[in-house]
Amino acid sequence: MDDKVFDDIEIAPPSVVLSAARDFAAALVETPQYRAFEQTAERFRQDQTAQQAMEAYRQKQMDLRHLLMLNALSAEQTAELESLQNAFANQPIVQEYSKAQTELVTLCQALEDTLSESIGLNYAAACGVSCCG
Amino acid sequence: METTISPQLQEATESLINNLLASEAFVRYQNARAQFNADQEAHDLMDQLSKSQARLRQKQSSGGVGQAEIDSLRLLQQRVQRNPVIMAYAQSQDEAVSFLREVNGEISQLLGINFATFANHATC
Repeated sequence: MDDKVFDDIEIAPPSVVLSAARDFAAALVETPQYRAFEQTAERFRQDQTAQQAMEAYRQKQMDLRHLLMLNALSAEQTAELESLQNAFANQPIVQEYSKAQTELVTLCQALEDTLSESIGLNYAAACGVSCCG
Repeated sequence: METTISPQLQEATESLINNLLASEAFVRYQNARAQFNADQEAHDLMDQLSKSQARLRQKQSSGGVGQAEIDSLRLLQQRVQRNPVIMAYAQSQDEAVSFLREVNGEISQLLGINFATFANHATC
């Protein structure tokens, strides 16, 4: 590309852009959505009952992973797994955490929409994020 | 769902956008994109390539791909790779994406979560 195009444009050095990125993150940290997410995440980490329920569900998933991959669970195994999942999901702190996460995700998505529209690139896709993690 | 964005966050978002757009990577990307959009030949070539790939995929699923179609696709791919406008656009996009990932890393480090993951609309 013709570098003369830069003669008339004031280029923002990477350090300035990264500083703007940090300011953006700092403003996001101050939002009620982020604060609620951080607070519930900490309470979730401290909640022994919820942690044990999560561990029991994870352990059962691990034990059954080969059968899960083959979609070959028996009715009893499926019921046991669902029961552990419900026991985890029904913990009050898990529901609070899930709600706080959803609200933060909604805010982040709104910001991403604005960013993507303005810069002409899909921000999340460009950053290598797929729906499967 | 309607989300309210505080004036402070709005301002920080606009500042980030303005700075990103003024970065070397994005200035190059915008210029290359404008040149690509203004180039009918480059557009036609990409359109032909896209249609040729779609036809081949369709035939692959029914098991009827001929050598002539494969040769035709290869020829188109070579023409695309020799087209300076398309290649400048592709390269500038790569550079803009790399820079955007660096920016996302900076944001995510401060947040303690991957911002792009939280902001992703796609679902499985």
